[in-house]
Amino acid sequence: MATQVTLKNNFITATNSRAGEIERITRDILTHPESGYKEVRTSQIVDEWFRANGLAVKNGIAKTGLVGVLDTGVPGPHVAVIGELDSLVVPDHKHADAKTGAAHACGHHAQIGAMLTVANGLIKDDVKHALVGKISFMAVPAEEYIELEFRELLRESGEIEFFGGKQEFIRLGLFDDVDIAMLTHTGTDSFGTFGIHGSSNGMIGKTIQYIGKASHAGGSPHLGVNALNSALLGLSGIHAQRDTFRDSDTVRVHPIITKGGASVNSVPSDVHLETYARASNIPAILSTAEKIDRALRAGALATGAQVRIITNPGYLPTKYDRSLTEIYRHNAASLVGDDNVIPRNHGTGCSDIGDVSHIIPTIQPTVNAATGEGHGVDYVVTNYELAVLKSGKAMGMTIIDLLADHGRLGTRVATSFNAPMTINSYLARMRAFRSDITYET
Amino acid sequence: MSVPTVNELKSHAISIINSDKETFIDAAKTVYEIPETGFNEIKTSKFIDGQLRGLEFSVQTGIAKTGLKATITGKDSGPTVAVIAELDALNVPMHLGADTETGAAHACGHHAQIGILLGVAAALRGAFIKNSLSGKVVLIATPAEEFIEIQERLNLRKNSEIEFLSGKQEMIRLGTFDDVDMAMMVHTAVGSGTPMLNIGGTSNAHVSHQVRYIGKSSHAGGAPDQGINALQAAIFANSAINTQRETFREMDVARVHGIISRGGVAVNAVPDDILYEGRVRAKSLNALDHVSKKVIRCYKAGALSVGGSAEILEIAGYHPLRQDRNIQEIFVSNARSILGKESIKVLPKTYSQGGSTDMGDLSCIMPVIHPYTISASGVGHGADYIIEDYDRAVIAPAKVVAATVIDLLGNGASAAKKVIDGYSATYSRDNYVALQRAKFRIETYNSTFR
Repeated sequence: MATQVTLKNNFITATNSRAGEIERITRDILTHPESGYKEVRTSQIVDEWFRANGLAVKNGIAKTGLVGVLDTGVPGPHVAVIGELDSLVVPDHKHADAKTGAAHACGHHAQIGAMLTVANGLIKDDVKHALVGKISFMAVPAEEYIELEFRELLRESGEIEFFGGKQEFIRLGLFDDVDIAMLTHTGTDSFGTFGIHGSSNGMIGKTIQYIGKASHAGGSPHLGVNALNSALLGLSGIHAQRDTFRDSDTVRVHPIITKGGASVNSVPSDVHLETYARASNIPAILSTAEKIDRALRAGALATGAQVRIITNPGYLPTKYDRSLTEIYRHNAASLVGDDNVIPRNHGTGCSDIGDVSHIIPTIQPTVNAATGEGHGVDYVVTNYELAVLKSGKAMGMTIIDLLADHGRLGTRVATSFNAPMTINSYLARMRAFRSDITYET
Repeated sequence: MSVPTVNELKSHAISIINSDKETFIDAAKTVYEIPETGFNEIKTSKFIDGQLRGLEFSVQTGIAKTGLKATITGKDSGPTVAVIAELDALNVPMHLGADTETGAAHACGHHAQIGILLGVAAALRGAFIKNSLSGKVVLIATPAEEFIEIQERLNLRKNSEIEFLSGKQEMIRLGTFDDVDMAMMVHTAVGSGTPMLNIGGTSNAHVSHQVRYIGKSSHAGGAPDQGINALQAAIFANSAINTQRETFREMDVARVHGIISRGGVAVNAVPDDILYEGRVRAKSLNALDHVSKKVIRCYKAGALSVGGSAEILEIAGYHPLRQDRNIQEIFVSNARSILGKESIKVLPKTYSQGGSTDMGDLSCIMPVIHPYTISASGVGHGADYIIEDYDRAVIAPAKVVAATVIDLLGNGASAAKKVIDGYSATYSRDNYVALQRAKFRIETYNSTFR
């Protein structure tokens, strides 16, 4: 039997041989961005590549998601390598779609490239035959929690239940027999490094509708009830609560107005907002949400409007598995050196990888191969060798460690994981976040 | 001896006012120097008492704490006409004439009214005139026209020293006006040139709110998450009220304005006890009720926004002023003949500038007039409100008021009787008192219970 060093060398040789092809696919996705649950073209590209490379494909999961499975045929741990299909909507981004404004301002396209890199290396017989268990390559839609009204419509029509793609994958059973998950996200910290450890905030999402009464804004404003003023008061009320947010909870609340009135000469009667309540832990998310609701209701009470607050489960705070991280750290260091694998701080963004991390051991290292501001107009991946090839290598080598040697390490990681939630308790918890209440004044 | 004509009586009254004009102006200036706010007008009251006694009046004092009343009795029975002057100053510490200790200042010119009152008293008290009048003239100095220092007055109310928060309201309640059939006073206003006087128009009704926001204190640096910020609640409410302004109709002349009279005790503690004093004014009681409801909703929203509670005390304020057409006509005609044809302007009946006066309350139970003498510079209630011309502020109106009283009560008081016949009261005194009493309401809004 080949040693793990030999296996990793074989794996690396394979990834190097098709690096150019995968970088071209990655750049093609960059220039054809699609936001969550709309990733039709991106999904198609991945589907074709999976099939062309002999993976068993299951597609159409949560609208645009798909899985390509590499089964060693030998029982053993099941590892998921995740790539996120979706882009953001940042119309002024250099690579934005002129029509939709969609743009890869968060570097997800590189995740697809890295995932294909892993697949490309592991499908080689001289690698695959030394491993046990299964590897699922999951191309998952809708990591960015955006376009809430659109997703609310999908929810109403029964096409999805949760707004995040991984949440949908969990709900649809795709993680039922998965033991370990990983994906690598691009980042802008110290360039050329990999970031490990850390944690991230969780959140819930809210879509808010203020219902006032329209009237002629010039002729008869006294007959109207101004929903925009209600909304602005609601927002002021939220801001006045900021000094009650504890530093240790890293609370973030950042509403937007998605509909602010129909015509300037009519008293606005239908105003829509979206917001998150983010925090590092669930109790803080809930207490923040309560403060938000209270302030929003006060906005309605002040003017005599109604407010409908729809609360949707967002993402759970992320906790990364330490033993899995340790295996990964070792492999990443072999590629970029010990000093270039650096611990991260708590991050105040959120991801549905947090949800996965509550069920199975999970890591989401960062590859610092981008410049600009995350989610900003200038966020671009500048080093594809690092973002795609080396990211893929680090994950693939980690999988070799997990699944070679009869899957001894993988089994240990999976069995030593103390899951905060089962899939059933996870789904129950997430469903309990949902509420739809209209407050009359 | 032949009975003097009304014109002879007027000429006599005017000549007395002219000959002693420096006395009346000096009296006004003396009061200006001792500004005292409502129900605190002790020095002012004492000064007027002395002046009236000097004119050989017997004076009833201490009515509604500091009010005064003196009577001139005519030769035979008939209606009673009241001439009113307001005793109180405002609180405008930056005013030139402000009391350095209390901040009280005559930034509304009430001191000029004292000069008018003494001028009229001197002019009408003599036998030549009073023996030609049927009925009585009462001179009334009323406390506390400015509806301010609410918290202090609520304390007086608690101690049963007053029940209503303004002087005329209290005097109505106490029966000071029970023997009075009609009343008049002249207030100063800003301006110069022609006309010298104006009359007509109305004033706003108002209601006063004392809103106490109760939160929870905690260290503002160390544990702000443990606190409930009552100041934020008040600020939210204030912003909320501002958003309602677009729903106020011009025709209602709505005015909403508040102050934060207790805004926190220490900057490093989350404020847990805030007092927001609000005032709502509008031209009609209906409009007042409508606007007041919106404002109260906003107070509650403030409490809800932070998760605190609000104690909302509503305090009966003033009624809109209705000026009596018949007295007005007599006043106008006297102004024209004494001061010149262009000396007075008659304002449209429905005109309101937005201010309020408790003469409005009196006007609901008896015919009144409330003309203005345009004699000041600056901004009403401002730091620069100064009486520029005391002849216009004191002497000219004293003459017109004296002549108007002579017209009303001379000739067997036929004019005064016509005024009484032509007037239909909005309320009886008892109904008025009951209505005002019912307007005191307290409501507690506790957001945590909802």
